[in-house]
Amino acid sequence: MKITEDGEPYGLITNIQKYTIHDGPGIRTEIFFKGCPLRCIWCSNPEGQSYEQQIGIYPSKCIGLSKCSLCINSCPRGTDTPIKTEDDRLLSLQEIPECKNCFRCAEECPSRAIMIWGKKMSVPELMKVILEDRNFYLKTGGGVTLSGGEVMLQWEFAALLLKACRDASIHTCVESSLYCPTEHMEKVYEATDLVITDIKHMDTERHKEYTGVGNELILKNIKRTAELKKPLVIRIPVVPDHNNSEKNIRATGEFIRDVLGNHVIQLQLIPFRKIGTEKYATLNLPYPMGDFSPPERSVWEKNLLRLTEIMKEYNIPAVAGSSQKMC
Amino acid sequence: MMESAIKREVKSTEPMAIEPFDKEWGVGVSGLTENTSPFPRINKILKWLKERDHTADHERAVIYTDGYFKKYTPYPQILKCALTLRDVLQNVSINIWPDELIVGEIAAPAKSAPVYPEFSIDWLCDEMVNAPLDQRRNDRYVISEETKKALFEIKDYWKGHTLEEHILSTLTEEELKGSHLEKGVNFFDLYVSAGAGHVCADYDKLLSIGFGGIRKQVEDQIHKVNTSDPDHLTKKEFYDAELIILDGVTSYISRYGHLAADMAEKETNPERKAELLRISSNCLQVAEGPARDFWEAIQLWHIATNMIIIETNGHSVTYGRFDQIFYPYYRRDIEKGTFNREFIQELIEMSFLKIHELCKIRNKTAIVFSSGTFMGGTALDVGGVDKDGNDATNDLSYMVLDAHAHTRIPNPWMGVRLHENSPWEFKVKTFNVIRIGTGEPKIFNDAAMIKALQNYDKPIEDARNYVGIGCVEPCVPGKTYGWHDSSSFNIAKVMQLAINGGRCIGCGSHCPRYSKCAGIGGRLGIDTGNLESFESFDQVMDSFDKQMEYWCNLMISQINKVDLAHQRLKPLPYLSLLIEDCIGKGKDVSAGGALYNHSGPQGVGIGTVADSLAAIKQLVFDEKKVDGKTLLNAIRANWQGHEPLYALVNSDRMHCYGNDDDYADDLARFVTATYCKHVEHRPTPHGGEYMPGVFSVSQNVMAGFYVAATPDGRKAGEPLSDCIGPVHTQMGSHDRNGPTAVAKSVAKLDHSRIGNGLILNWKFSPGAVSGETGRDSLISLMDIYFENNGMQSQFNIVGKEVLTDAQKNPDQYKDLLVRVAGYSAYFIELSEELQSDLIGRTELSFD
Repeated sequence: MKITEDGEPYGLITNIQKYTIHDGPGIRTEIFFKGCPLRCIWCSNPEGQSYEQQIGIYPSKCIGLSKCSLCINSCPRGTDTPIKTEDDRLLSLQEIPECKNCFRCAEECPSRAIMIWGKKMSVPELMKVILEDRNFYLKTGGGVTLSGGEVMLQWEFAALLLKACRDASIHTCVESSLYCPTEHMEKVYEATDLVITDIKHMDTERHKEYTGVGNELILKNIKRTAELKKPLVIRIPVVPDHNNSEKNIRATGEFIRDVLGNHVIQLQLIPFRKIGTEKYATLNLPYPMGDFSPPERSVWEKNLLRLTEIMKEYNIPAVAGSSQKMC
Repeated sequence: MMESAIKREVKSTEPMAIEPFDKEWGVGVSGLTENTSPFPRINKILKWLKERDHTADHERAVIYTDGYFKKYTPYPQILKCALTLRDVLQNVSINIWPDELIVGEIAAPAKSAPVYPEFSIDWLCDEMVNAPLDQRRNDRYVISEETKKALFEIKDYWKGHTLEEHILSTLTEEELKGSHLEKGVNFFDLYVSAGAGHVCADYDKLLSIGFGGIRKQVEDQIHKVNTSDPDHLTKKEFYDAELIILDGVTSYISRYGHLAADMAEKETNPERKAELLRISSNCLQVAEGPARDFWEAIQLWHIATNMIIIETNGHSVTYGRFDQIFYPYYRRDIEKGTFNREFIQELIEMSFLKIHELCKIRNKTAIVFSSGTFMGGTALDVGGVDKDGNDATNDLSYMVLDAHAHTRIPNPWMGVRLHENSPWEFKVKTFNVIRIGTGEPKIFNDAAMIKALQNYDKPIEDARNYVGIGCVEPCVPGKTYGWHDSSSFNIAKVMQLAINGGRCIGCGSHCPRYSKCAGIGGRLGIDTGNLESFESFDQVMDSFDKQMEYWCNLMISQINKVDLAHQRLKPLPYLSLLIEDCIGKGKDVSAGGALYNHSGPQGVGIGTVADSLAAIKQLVFDEKKVDGKTLLNAIRANWQGHEPLYALVNSDRMHCYGNDDDYADDLARFVTATYCKHVEHRPTPHGGEYMPGVFSVSQNVMAGFYVAATPDGRKAGEPLSDCIGPVHTQMGSHDRNGPTAVAKSVAKLDHSRIGNGLILNWKFSPGAVSGETGRDSLISLMDIYFENNGMQSQFNIVGKEVLTDAQKNPDQYKDLLVRVAGYSAYFIELSEELQSDLIGRTELSFD
């Protein structure tokens, strides 16, 4: 666990979103952890992948170098700055070893055209924000959801934060790929009320192709989660032409029925949507599914409902989308 | 024959119009669906109405002029007004339109506006020549050659005799300098060229005793007047006027009865013939008598309200608590089997169409900023508590909401009253209708509205019976003459004067006022200090307070003159019949006859000023990032050459109102409290007290035109923040923490002082409120906002992409209904400025 100079443990957080209503019951505050061991090709939060603070660039927000240039003037590398410009506007920030990520340019930029992905936050800092909406959690059975990135990558900090929430009588939910050492998971579970995880593919080769890792550890941890009787919601991100075959869906259904004993509160089939393009651009990263054109809404909607019906054959409480109540 | 038509309805065993409480009509679909009513008649009339042009009609103006200048010149003003109005009611042409079940017009055919020359007529004649009303981009009116000719003929009679000319002649140069005619601190034009309206009649009394019963009340009082009483003559004239008007009223309603009978005679379709006969008997009954069943009651309610419009030329003539007014009739009819629910549902929807056909012509400036309203303020509420504080929701509350889902028109302006014991089913129905995305209904928090009225000395029973007038203004129905909306006060302009030594930002010789201001020390306001020289933020707040005091005083002296002019020139003898206690006091409603009297000017730009003050506090005094002079120069230059500072004040580094951040929210509290302090409880000429409101309707767009750049990162001419909401500028939204933060920030303001009401506009993407999860989260969000004493909320649930596309392709979005401010309107009927302001509001989206 990382610790500040003052000895305070901190987490690296990309975003805090209040009034989240689809990741757990009720009205929730969602905390996005930075860093992820997976590289899903359909990832819509690429800023959550690296476990480092990163520069993000929004050229459209740049107000023009002739009017501002605070970024370039603040760069310790002077004229040899990695900040690249074109037509009076910020273009990109080249990743060069000489840039020591001092973030001075981001701190100076008035329009947030250069910004920092990832903020170091301590448990008390996060709890201050979390507690602001306490009344909303109490009214709706809501609470806090830790998401990412991958929560388990910062498992010690996550466990501390969850403990603090539980001490404040706030419902806790962890949304994780469960690609992590089982001990870490179990430690995090100590103060977790609900787990949301994905089954992205039942074929480990395909899983590896799409996410960079096989599915064995994940499935093992899901099984362990069921054994621990931890309330569990499973999601399938349904990506056309990738994992939406009837075969894969049936294999998933069999796993849930036979291995988990249907220990699942809800199975959500989430339609893939092409979002996050802009965020990839800010990180100067290619969007692996950038060229993919999803089918018409009417087509995928029909398919999604068909797959949901198949899941119901296994007596699984399956729903299309995430807007039906979990409990 | 009539009985068979009615029985046909009664026989049906499965009511098709009583929808289940949790029926969903879709999310964000707005009015873009056809034939939404289960009643073919309603769909048919709606189609007919939509295809009909808006027009103007001269008959009222001609009859009124004839009486005023030829027949009744020697009479005292109140009698002159009564006699001319009686002539209008007795002589104006009337129509019964195909298929309608409720009849009555406003002295002009459906979708046609009467003309009110006694208020002002020059602008209309001028626009007919120089800015043809049928060529407007929005709020188009087709005016026939005959009408034009008739209006030109009467125009000269009114020269020097209109209310508008009278008012303008009384205003001093000091009062005029900040007006809408000059520098735009205070927009009090609404009641200069039109009537005050903003009133809700005593429908309970009217329906139960009828106009005949009211006549008896007047006659009883006449006998009580002591001839040696110094007020004897005033009272006698008033009562005489009441009796004259009652003659006109009875004649007017009877004429519809006779017309219906004549039409029935010629009608060949037996079902329609039966309907016409029943319409005839309804009218002949309620011309004098009380309403005996739901159909008679709704007929009387509708036509009585139309006559308020014919007399007053006011908008926001409010229809009251529908479910409370009509429940006794509904219950009796259902129990006795007179009508079934299905037929009553059809009558409710019919009444909505009748309200939708009303309209009022506004001038070319007004329609840029409050476009698409047509009549405006046709408010009607359901739900809430009774006078003892118990839940009063009933079947009709649900049926009224279904009626909107079935008609999806912007009339009436619907309000739902909610309280801690509102039934869950009623909330579900309310939010399912809200999620359709037409912007209707708005919701009120009983606790906050009642508290505000109690703060203005209303007994608890009366406060609990409140109705939201027009947009939202809290009012005790049937007992109040509230002069709600008597002015819009531009707080942002005052803030600028407060940081610039009383001078406008951009003061210079190009300004037509330059030489006049030079005579008063070269400034528009008073010199309360300057951002270049303030040494502490306390001095800034002190300067703002002093400048506010100066301008609020001027506003009040302006409104008082307008108020007095109405008393002198435009007494309202018909309205006085329907407001307690005019008959008891023997006093016209305009002169203080009502039990409760108020004047409610609105403060505009709370968010803009709060964020501006927060920027000054943070950058100049706390962080010392810039000095006062630099910031002042930046806004003088409209941020040109100060782009980094402009980006900074619009960035998330700033404290801004609407983020649950006390730093800025405390300043919003301060701004609101300062406005209230200088306005509340001051006396009005018609015998009541001032009651501040803080909502802009769409005046934030108009007021923004008069305000140079502001320190919150707004550029010159951009709209001010709307109503009580957070700021959004060209650079983006200042509320960044989502809806829970907005709800908490707004609830921090002291709502109990805001007796004239407030508006909070929400904009959600359909995805954020879809499904049961979305619905219930939204309900909970509002529950908590109300528990924190929030007063009101209203919603737009249409995707930004839809609005943007509709702006480009209006023809494909003719029925796209959206929430503007106090009201909903067809998006394509809005001015471009207002459309853009709407698109720019923060869209709360979560997936």
